[in-house]
Amino acid sequence: MSADGRPVLQVADLEVHYGLRRRRRRVLHGVSLSVARGETVGVIGETGSGKSTFARAVLGLVRASGGRILIDGEDVSRYSARQWRALRRRGVVQYVFQDPLRSLDPDLPIEESLIEPLLVQGVGRKEAVERGRAYLARVRLDSELFGRLPGELSGGQRQRVAVARVLVTEPALIILDEPVSALDSANRVGILEILKELRDAGVALIFISHDLGSVAGVADRIAVLYQGEFVEVGDARAVISNPRHPYARLLVGSAPTLRSAAASRAERDALRALLHA
Amino acid sequence: MVRRVLALPAGRLAVGILSVIVLLAILGPTLAPHDPLGTSALTLAGPSWEHWLGTDYLGRDVFSRLLAGSRTSVLGSVEVALIALVVGVVPGILSVYFGQVFEWFTLRIADTLIALPFLIYAVAVTALLGNGIPQAMFTVGVLVSPLFYRVARASTLAVARSQYVEAALISGASIGWIARRHVWGKVLPPVAVALAQTIGIGFVVVSSLSFLGIGVQPPAPTWGGLLASDLGYLSYQPWAPAVPALLIMATVWGSNLLADAIRDVSGEAGRALLNSRRVRARRLDPAEPIPAGGVAP
Amino acid sequence: MTRTRSDGTATATVPAARPADPPAGQPPAVPSPAVPSPAVPSPAVAPTTADPQSAAAPPAAQAPALTVRGVRIRDEVNDREIVHGVSFELRPGRAVGIVGESGSGKTLTCRAILGILPAHFAVSAGSIEIAGRDIAGLTTPQWTDLRGSTISAVFQDPASYLNPSLKVGVQIAEVIQVKSGLRRRAARRRALELLTAVHLRDPELVYDQYTFELSGGMLQRVLIATAIAADPQVLIADEATTALDVTVQAEILDLLADLRERNGLALVVVSHDLAVVAQVCDEVLVMREGEVVEHGPTADVLYHPRHEYTRLLIAEHEQYGLDRYLADSDSTTDPDPDPDPEADPHAGIGPVAGEQRKELDDVR
Ligand SMILES: Nc1ncnc2c1ncn2[C@@H]1O[C@H](COP(=O)(O)OP(=O)(O)OP(=O)(O)O)[C@@H](O)[C@H]1O
Ligand SMILES: Nc1ncnc2c1ncn2[C@@H]1O[C@H](COP(=O)(O)OP(=O)(O)OP(=O)(O)O)[C@@H](O)[C@H]1O
Ligand SMILES: [Mg+2]
Ligand SMILES: [Mg+2]
Repeated sequence: MSADGRPVLQVADLEVHYGLRRRRRRVLHGVSLSVARGETVGVIGETGSGKSTFARAVLGLVRASGGRILIDGEDVSRYSARQWRALRRRGVVQYVFQDPLRSLDPDLPIEESLIEPLLVQGVGRKEAVERGRAYLARVRLDSELFGRLPGELSGGQRQRVAVARVLVTEPALIILDEPVSALDSANRVGILEILKELRDAGVALIFISHDLGSVAGVADRIAVLYQGEFVEVGDARAVISNPRHPYARLLVGSAPTLRSAAASRAERDALRALLHA
Repeated sequence: MVRRVLALPAGRLAVGILSVIVLLAILGPTLAPHDPLGTSALTLAGPSWEHWLGTDYLGRDVFSRLLAGSRTSVLGSVEVALIALVVGVVPGILSVYFGQVFEWFTLRIADTLIALPFLIYAVAVTALLGNGIPQAMFTVGVLVSPLFYRVARASTLAVARSQYVEAALISGASIGWIARRHVWGKVLPPVAVALAQTIGIGFVVVSSLSFLGIGVQPPAPTWGGLLASDLGYLSYQPWAPAVPALLIMATVWGSNLLADAIRDVSGEAGRALLNSRRVRARRLDPAEPIPAGGVAP
Repeated sequence: MTRTRSDGTATATVPAARPADPPAGQPPAVPSPAVPSPAVPSPAVAPTTADPQSAAAPPAAQAPALTVRGVRIRDEVNDREIVHGVSFELRPGRAVGIVGESGSGKTLTCRAILGILPAHFAVSAGSIEIAGRDIAGLTTPQWTDLRGSTISAVFQDPASYLNPSLKVGVQIAEVIQVKSGLRRRAARRRALELLTAVHLRDPELVYDQYTFELSGGMLQRVLIATAIAADPQVLIADEATTALDVTVQAEILDLLADLRERNGLALVVVSHDLAVVAQVCDEVLVMREGEVVEHGPTADVLYHPRHEYTRLLIAEHEQYGLDRYLADSDSTTDPDPDPDPEADPHAGIGPVAGEQRKELDDVR
């Protein structure tokens, strides 16, 4: 896999806080990661550990309280709203939201949502519709669904719309937040294959997921986030088959598979004791 | 938007009614065949060729008074609605964007206004600002503004924190683009519905204030005032209150229809309407019901 | 096990008070205070109450909690049938799984059971009985009575089931106040217990947060807490654990298992994660394009699939299954899916060869 070239994304010592005054809490801290062109980094970890927050910080949706973020070599940590807009309009980085329903305007037919990024970039409507349809077909959505509102689709259909919307602009870096969580295994394989194709075409991907199998299958490297810190970063297969940090072990151990039950309660408690030791 | 509203029978009906009312407000005073303030010995007369709607307890021509009063009434209630819009909607939207302190204060003020006893407040404001129609409108407008505050705040909250707005931002959309494409369609319908309600409240409240000698002074005619005085002579002319009441109802109904039409032409609600129609059409088969929209100009 | 209240610093994941816990001041989190559970059994001794597996329990207590007979769902706008007949029976303490293609009508089936189909969708044939009551003729107040306390659900998009402008804790407490008739303060306490039971790290904080301040997994757990608040007999979990990490998922599944054993909760689990279904369910339905293509005991369906679509589903699951990566822990360079033949007693689910998968693809 072509994990070469200069990094598309470099994050150093990222720190993010939420809330004001008394309710101010640190969510991310000391997070560093770099992603090269054609590289896929999987991010796994506890729910509420800050995975989506990490993505939002990289996209400038939340302001980092410390550290640096470089996209395509440019330091964006102190960007103004105007600079962000210019960067975004170039379509360098895109994001698949974790919750497809909330990230699609309930009053717009999915086709409209899909072509919005293209229209914003100044692509003509006709061409935008054409390109949008091509991507909807690519994620295996029936053309009769194009005119539906998001509320009129099933969970998995919406998720595929959300993925397609991000693909249409052909960005250099894509952050995918649980892009396959609502898909049956056949459709999941379809999306994962698309991701692999993108990677081979030189796109940098950050793949956030709770589905360890998918992450292991697609990612080159895996980062394990626990309580706002990367506790383990390493080769994908190694992290899954031979996790070192106690939390990573707890996580991999808790995953049920079709043939074997996950670690029992007692085993998990033992691992957790180790974690808190 | 305008074209789609007009495509609905209810939308055409609403626009028709409201145009008539607006015409009345503009031309009414000049059209009045008699002096609306001129009394005569002929009191409480029934309808006749001379007095189309009869005369009131002082012998004034009711038809003329209705026409003459339409401008004050319509302007009054529109003013109430506009003041409520400015005093309510603007802080409602801003409360979402301007930090917690602003949010806290505006919320408390809105709560206070809701709890305030209306009459005491009205009298106090008159004492402070003097007596007159603008002051009365201001009073009422401020009083109903919490409704607008709440409505505007709720719908803005829903949109502002939504991820689809963030998704548009990530794609590089400008604030203007987002306002046009995502916000406008969601804040407008609830505000329009609230506005329509307020116009109705405006008519009634402005005239009830007249009882207290606030705002419109007794001899000057308004629809609400006519209604009130007619009610006092119910035993002589039981049908008399019907006419001003009808006018008020028509205005309120027209505004509500328009608000509903605005809501119904867009997004999810629009789709729901379309779907109901398709289902109905399928059940009834070819015979599509003819809409009662014949009033449209 | 001690109950640790995390204060935001890196401390313990709060383990739910298990029934095995010594009653340390507080009552166990899960059973409602309204239902005093005498001598709460530890999971290990659970068979004393009711073991769903050894179905030797008295037949009187085994009336089905949910019966679905030949349910068909029609979309009246486009005039077509979306679900072509789903049937299953669910007894207390049992769990049925529904798996299948995206868009095959799993969620619509669940919504039909709860009587909340979208506008212009209708059950056109078949019948549904909840705790012996046919839902066809239920009036709105009867439904209100039934939902929450007899049957409740956790749906796919947690955020859309919560009010974005109210604190989530207040919303749970409200459900408890209405359904269990508790006073405000007691309802708050119970809501906090429930938030603890679903392993939220800092229940007090979450109680006062709005939906937009919560992560996907936190939202989902808030919804699970709301759904079990009134001790329902039937819980429909439509992709209810997809936003959870596997550790928390395991904990939630344990919680549900406890409720099944202790309260006889019956579960309908809709999931794309076959591993979860394999672990939780007694029985599985496989759906495709509105049709139930296979239905049977979990072990039969998942380990000896008959229908081609089920085989495809399992094969594709295995393609990115964790087994592949766990198995070759020492040969990290070779990702060849060569499962240990001894660990695989089910010949039926061997990975499908490329050729064969092509065939299966054509089936789709
Ligand atoms: N807008 C916000 N205001 C305050 N706190 C927030 C906000 N958004 C997220 N948080 C908090 O930040 C933490 C991290 O949330 P985040 O959404 O990043 O988690 P996550 O790792 O994506 O979890 P999941 O896997 O469940 O999606 C959570 O504790 C959450 O409550
Ligand atoms: N409100 C609606 N209006 C029109 N069509 C709908 C509506 N809701 C669902 N559908 C359609 O009905 C079919 C079944 O939807 P359903 O949500 O039950 O699928 P599902 O099996 O739950 O899929 P997923 O696994 O993706 O959630 C889909 O094709 C969907 O597009
Ligand atoms: Mg997240
Ligand atoms: Mg579904």
